[in-house]
Amino acid sequence: MADQNKPESADNFFNEILSPCELFAARSRSHKIPARGQKDFYPDDSEEQKQRLQQRLDEHWSLISEERVERLGNLVKAVWSPSERIVELQTPAGKFWQTMGFSAEGKQFLLPEEALYLMECGNLQVFHQDLPLSIQDGYEAFLSSDSVSLQQYQVFGHLKRLGYVVHRFDPSSEPSPYARQLNLPRSRDRGGRQLKRKRSPSPAPTSSKTAAASQAEEMEEEDKLPESHLVASAAPQTSSSGAAGEVQARTWWPAEVPERQAGQRSAPGSQRWDFSSICFPDLGSAGRLAPLDASLLPGGVTPGVCDVAPWMRRINLRKVKMSPKEEERERRQRRRDVNKDKEVQRCRNWAEYHKLLERRQAKRQGRPAHLWSGEVQPLHDPTRPISTAELLEKISVIKSTDLLEGAARLKGSEEWRICFNVYQPDSVADFKKSNPGKPYARMCVCSFDGPVPDLRVIKQLSFQSGDVPVVYAAVDHGDISFYTFKDFQLPRDIYP
Amino acid sequence: MEAELQPQEERSPAPVVGLSLCDSAPLLWRLQDLKAVRSEGLVGALLGSLPRTPRQNVRLGRPLLLLPEEERLLGERGGAAALPAQNQEAAAGELQQRYTEEQQRSFEEQSVLALEDRESALVRAMTSSSGSDPASDEALQHRLLDLEQNFSFPRSALAVQLSTARAGLSHCPEARAFLEADWPIRAQRCPRREARFQVFRDLRGRGFFLTSAGKFGGDFLVYPGDPLRFHAHFIAICLALDESVCLLDVLCAARLGSNVKKTVLLCSPAPDGPVRYTSLQWSGMV
Repeated sequence: MADQNKPESADNFFNEILSPCELFAARSRSHKIPARGQKDFYPDDSEEQKQRLQQRLDEHWSLISEERVERLGNLVKAVWSPSERIVELQTPAGKFWQTMGFSAEGKQFLLPEEALYLMECGNLQVFHQDLPLSIQDGYEAFLSSDSVSLQQYQVFGHLKRLGYVVHRFDPSSEPSPYARQLNLPRSRDRGGRQLKRKRSPSPAPTSSKTAAASQAEEMEEEDKLPESHLVASAAPQTSSSGAAGEVQARTWWPAEVPERQAGQRSAPGSQRWDFSSICFPDLGSAGRLAPLDASLLPGGVTPGVCDVAPWMRRINLRKVKMSPKEEERERRQRRRDVNKDKEVQRCRNWAEYHKLLERRQAKRQGRPAHLWSGEVQPLHDPTRPISTAELLEKISVIKSTDLLEGAARLKGSEEWRICFNVYQPDSVADFKKSNPGKPYARMCVCSFDGPVPDLRVIKQLSFQSGDVPVVYAAVDHGDISFYTFKDFQLPRDIYP
Repeated sequence: MEAELQPQEERSPAPVVGLSLCDSAPLLWRLQDLKAVRSEGLVGALLGSLPRTPRQNVRLGRPLLLLPEEERLLGERGGAAALPAQNQEAAAGELQQRYTEEQQRSFEEQSVLALEDRESALVRAMTSSSGSDPASDEALQHRLLDLEQNFSFPRSALAVQLSTARAGLSHCPEARAFLEADWPIRAQRCPRREARFQVFRDLRGRGFFLTSAGKFGGDFLVYPGDPLRFHAHFIAICLALDESVCLLDVLCAARLGSNVKKTVLLCSPAPDGPVRYTSLQWSGMV
């Protein structure tokens, strides 16, 4: 073939095969790329310009025409298997094995994009039916829209040439959103300590998040911790009604305002406790308290009969000596004692008492009752103390939203998916394919001709990606631009 | 202004260029095809790693990706043909045999070359160290003979080619004939594509070189000459003549254009008429 190279133009048709002589000469070839000089501003048809253009074109074509020539000993041999769309190595892998390829059933494999990249780098020779594939064969056989598209390969190659480690993104190998929410260590990660270090910079869990997490844990029923946590949180409330016998009646009725606030704070509890059905314990009958309603207590706690008598005996009944001033204050306080209050005495349960308090406060603060009686009520009760930040939060009609808010509910789309995990070049030295660690970024490949990802897509993909940024690689023919959508919170100055 | 000079289109039949589709993108692989389209003023975009230094993105190598407009221009002119597909299983056995034979021949030729190389190196070394006296001459002959007898060219040192384009007559025996221009016009007939194509053809007809301008937020970058030697002067944005444009978009384009020292051109092909060009410029009033 080689000797037929020159003669007629018809045979010149496929003339890009090098003769043995040329092959041999190629071993001492330069690896420098000619520098590109200053460009001219406008063509003026001068001889000088033409000459320079010709020179530049000659350089260009000599670069472009160059064929890959490698020593056979430096080439890894592999075989393309079209049915599985995979490349199997036949000779021992090279240095690239540290970041590319995978083993299965005792064989070594490369994904098509990896194989094609290595072919382009002159490290790999892929055979099909015992004939070597050209780069063109590789492009045409390995790339297709239903596995790795040309654009995806362009992005892959671009990043690989820059030195990044690029792996296919496999959604199933990522921890599920659920597992991520629980911060569960990944089972296949043996380096638990490393994982912890990685996970720690994740945003501090907000109270709502932990609540959700503990609820989720409860659902899973795999940990003892959440249950005990639940009991602990419920305990203060049960004690206030259960062990009440020991205390003086007074503590049942603390000053009005704190009681209100306490009621406020235990708001979540009110979902479980119907105050209208919880009656006041009759402490006057001193002797026995009716057993607590078991439905108010956390599971597993059986209420016993509470005998108050021994506690009553231990109460210090000695008269306190007081100065006249103190006595006066005591008297005044006594007069204000809620228990003596006729209206309070008329209350049969907590709900009625709460209503009474509300009524009274409204009256005292001069809060126009009609504003609060209707269905539409003011956003905030001016009598309630609240911090500026909380107030701003409360009166903001349009709430600012988090990028990930509600993302868990979104379903993935066919059109948009994350293609690659990208690891930084400086990690190559101690990179482990089995434990690659947290990627530097994840790539989503899109086209300049296609649509811009909408909020839904951005939410869904960034949720899928977790705390790794999603980068959108927009391919415009030969050019690739990388864009990231970042969550942004408008800064807000608050003077309390 | 009407485009009057269209030198490229009126020229004697340009060689037919071999295209091949990869994931529906038109790629050029053969050097002669790359040169042919460049001589017609079509630039395209190189996608592959450069064989000489593959691990960089500054200079890339084959294949060359054509813009849809470039592909259509070639197709309409009858200047493009599909490259023959890889020869199917047909004579696989024979091809494999030819491949091994060729490689064996290459090995033999290369070992001869390697020996010659070593010999000439030896001669150079011996003659340069001492002048030409009979004693050293004899020693040289002796050494050469020794080398010839003991020299072995290891198989692993064989230089092999990793072809870029699908090459070798053996791979496609039926493709010896010249390509026939059979490239179908694949362009989708949507108004936007159509407008782009009209503008592309008009500007190319006026002698400009065009590349895609996604990175500048436009449709084409317009070069006054070959992009190897000249900077782009214009960013072309293609719009239908009756399309209303958002003022903000116009400002964005103009601002970006002036920042990169290029003029923004709004290009609107009139139906059955010339393409109208409007340039945007800062007025410079403060």
